[in-house]
Amino acid sequence: MPALGGAEIILIFPSNTDILNAEDLLEEKGLPFILVPVPKEVNPNCGLAISLAENDHDLILPVLEAAGLRPSAAYRRQGDDFSCLHLDH
Amino acid sequence: MIYFDNGATSFPKPAQVGTAIMAALAAPASPGRSGHAPAMAAGRTIHRARKALAKLFGLKENGRICFGPNITWALNLALMGLSLEKGQHVLSGSLEHNSTARPLAKLKAEKGLDWEIVPARQGQLWAEDFAKLIRPETKLVVLNHASNVSGALAPARAIKKAIGQVPLLLDTAQTAGSVDLDEAGSWVDLLAFTGHKGLLGPTGTGGLWVGPNINLRPCLVGGSGSRSESLEHPDFLPDALEAGTANTHGLAGLAAGVEYILQVGRESIRAHELSLTQDFLKEIIKIDELTLLGPGPGQSERVATVSINLKGWSSSDLAGALERDYGILTRAGLHCAPLSHQALGTFPGGSVRFSFGPFNKPEEIKIGVKALKSLARQKG
Repeated sequence: MPALGGAEIILIFPSNTDILNAEDLLEEKGLPFILVPVPKEVNPNCGLAISLAENDHDLILPVLEAAGLRPSAAYRRQGDDFSCLHLDH
Repeated sequence: MIYFDNGATSFPKPAQVGTAIMAALAAPASPGRSGHAPAMAAGRTIHRARKALAKLFGLKENGRICFGPNITWALNLALMGLSLEKGQHVLSGSLEHNSTARPLAKLKAEKGLDWEIVPARQGQLWAEDFAKLIRPETKLVVLNHASNVSGALAPARAIKKAIGQVPLLLDTAQTAGSVDLDEAGSWVDLLAFTGHKGLLGPTGTGGLWVGPNINLRPCLVGGSGSRSESLEHPDFLPDALEAGTANTHGLAGLAAGVEYILQVGRESIRAHELSLTQDFLKEIIKIDELTLLGPGPGQSERVATVSINLKGWSSSDLAGALERDYGILTRAGLHCAPLSHQALGTFPGGSVRFSFGPFNKPEEIKIGVKALKSLARQKG
């Protein structure tokens, strides 16, 4: 779970099914995350996104990608500020 | 009442199916849309159904399972979504249900599709007969996995092997939940299923698994909860083929039904149903006035569906007498499968169909046999 007041990484996936598969996988592996509504500041989708503590991002992203779960976009959030992250795929 | 109409819909449902539907009805949620906790829970409920089905069918990923209202929707989506054109060739078995025969007839009449029917021999379909009819322009093979009339099980894996790269669309209406569909992804290209028969869920549920080499054009577009900013419908599965709000309540029940099968074991359900069927066949075959359609005693390439006629009885009168005099529920007539009855020589009169399910008991089979013996004597 993102540390209170710390930066978080928001991962957006193409479909809700991808999000739910990601949720299953991270829970199974005991990795920390929360599901959040997609922040409307950066993306108009109705669905859900995965929020990670910034420090956990490098650990968790490869786990998701190894299972074929590739985010369509990623953002760093600090308070109300969002910055888009480059994804290597 | 004795229920022998599981080929139409399974009854009873496991208790947890009703419980799951009631729980979903009590939740203030629309799945995949809002981000509040009950909406997330509704999304997870549908996801449970996808996961359970992927496990039952031995699929590596669940995201290519697309839900809809029934298997007719799924089969239409597959047949219409492939954008088949004039001059292209499609093969189907001769034991098809109208859920594939009517869309194929429509495509033939309206688009000029070359639809060819592979005849049954001795009431069965044979892989080599499919192989002989494959041509360069063959775009699809459509197969009813088991006849909803005679119960004959098609050799689907052998047929796929015989047709090579030509995609196989498998109608599992009478097989999913009992017959082995393991590792379906390695021998099926499009798998259509219904939720309310062998999968033990409620009516109003069904779906289509779309293989990775298949690209279907959606028949419906609209709300998906994804890419909301665009007027173009998403092109990724399952969203591409699931426009509109899903039947959360029904899918909650379907998830519970499939989880029940996984818990009890598909193999044990299959063994139970085959055992009941063999007990029934061994006895009814002794009735001189009875004509059996399809595989007889000792033949395991079948499902728990048995069609018969009795000398002197129309199918509707016989089914009526079974219900009135013995409380036995069966189904008379053509079973929405005129092609099958033509192939089996029982068109247009049809037959009386007994279809057994996981909750039928051997004592009920004995009552069914006794009833048929008595009714045969009445007009024999």
